[in-house]
Amino acid sequence: MWVSVLTAVAEQAVNRLLTLEPNLASDLQSTAHKVLALTLTDLNLSCALHYNGKHCFVYGNYHDSADCHITTSLDCLGELKDPSQLTRLIRSGKLDLEGDLHLAQSYSKAFANLNIDWAEHLSRYLGDAGAEHLVSSVKQCANSAQLHSKSWQQVVTQLCQDELNVTVHPMELQQFKAQTRALSSQLAALEQRINALTD
Amino acid sequence: MKEENRDTTHFGYKTVESNQKESLVADVFHSVAAKYDIMNDFLSFGIHRLWKRQTIACSGVRKGHRVLDLAGGTGDLTAKFSQLVGDTGQVILGDINDSMLKVGRDKLRDLGLVNNIEYVQMNAQALPFPDNSLDVITIAFGLRNVTDKDEALRSMYRVLKPGGRLLVLEFSKTESEALSKLYDFYSFNILPNVGKLVANDSESYRYLAESIRMHPDQETLKSMMEDAGFEQTSYQNFTGGIVALHRGFKY
Repeated sequence: MWVSVLTAVAEQAVNRLLTLEPNLASDLQSTAHKVLALTLTDLNLSCALHYNGKHCFVYGNYHDSADCHITTSLDCLGELKDPSQLTRLIRSGKLDLEGDLHLAQSYSKAFANLNIDWAEHLSRYLGDAGAEHLVSSVKQCANSAQLHSKSWQQVVTQLCQDELNVTVHPMELQQFKAQTRALSSQLAALEQRINALTD
Repeated sequence: MKEENRDTTHFGYKTVESNQKESLVADVFHSVAAKYDIMNDFLSFGIHRLWKRQTIACSGVRKGHRVLDLAGGTGDLTAKFSQLVGDTGQVILGDINDSMLKVGRDKLRDLGLVNNIEYVQMNAQALPFPDNSLDVITIAFGLRNVTDKDEALRSMYRVLKPGGRLLVLEFSKTESEALSKLYDFYSFNILPNVGKLVANDSESYRYLAESIRMHPDQETLKSMMEDAGFEQTSYQNFTGGIVALHRGFKY
């Protein structure tokens, strides 16, 4: 049932976006009355998007036929924002696509082009100056949070690798992999020799 | 004795003459029609919207389809189907009760949904459509009120096109014993009292609780659908089996 709640929230959000950003509706026009199904393998979740030209419907637990069916993992979902990445993801085996590739690309392009003028929408409630100030403050906060998160990430990584010794350094991992590979090939050679001697 | 069994049916826990049930059910729905939507939200805590969402997700309704929302009441499903079938499709909101149809028609017109919806007063046991004429039939919280369910299922099978599907959303049997006890307490103690308080009608809500208990369980309804001719029948339980969605295809 939680899937239905999630899809209901997503549907509300997408339809709100359609009213906030008129360009989204025109970008999605080519997808009207077509169904894009999405299966996330790691979450074992199937959902679908159905745009009818005015509203978008988001279905949960969708197992019916679709014009385009994408099967991928949650990690790759973010990469779908860039339509040019679709073919690369398919080639690398991270994404499986059945049906109309253009439908997936249209959705990907429409959401990638999304550029909501929040200041414009908020100005109705806060006035022009207030809305502009709020939006720029939020952007600044987001930027500084991004910067801080990067530096915190570095600090935590160094702490775990150098001080606490609870994780390995990437170079150590590489070295370990190379040694394992060498050992594996030695073992294979030895196995072959043993087989040759016993035959 | 056999003759007597054939002419009687259940109305909640009461046994009544088959030809009486329609008018008794009609009385219930004439009584609740005006406050049907608000009571649905109130008594199910809004969860009925999620059950209906999942029904729409399983319906496979597409542009150009001809859909029958049987026992459609106040038109929750019809409203969504109308947007999905587009200008080339058609949705028929069918109900045996004219009070419910009027409430549904007013609601949908207020929503601006007028182009592709027809309102037809009909009996599920004798659907007024030619054979093989509909793509999808849904019946949400309606089948348990039908006097002869088998006949209704056969009628639905007849009017569906080959490849068409039937979706039955209905109260069913709970999966766990603990939930069953909690649900019984809610149904027989809280539900009629809330019905009395909000809609000034405890009897209709007592009938609701009783009719749910008399309705066939998941497996029985599935086999009834198979007997009517449906193929690939399946069901999924919602909220611990309080409600189940059955689906069957005609090929």
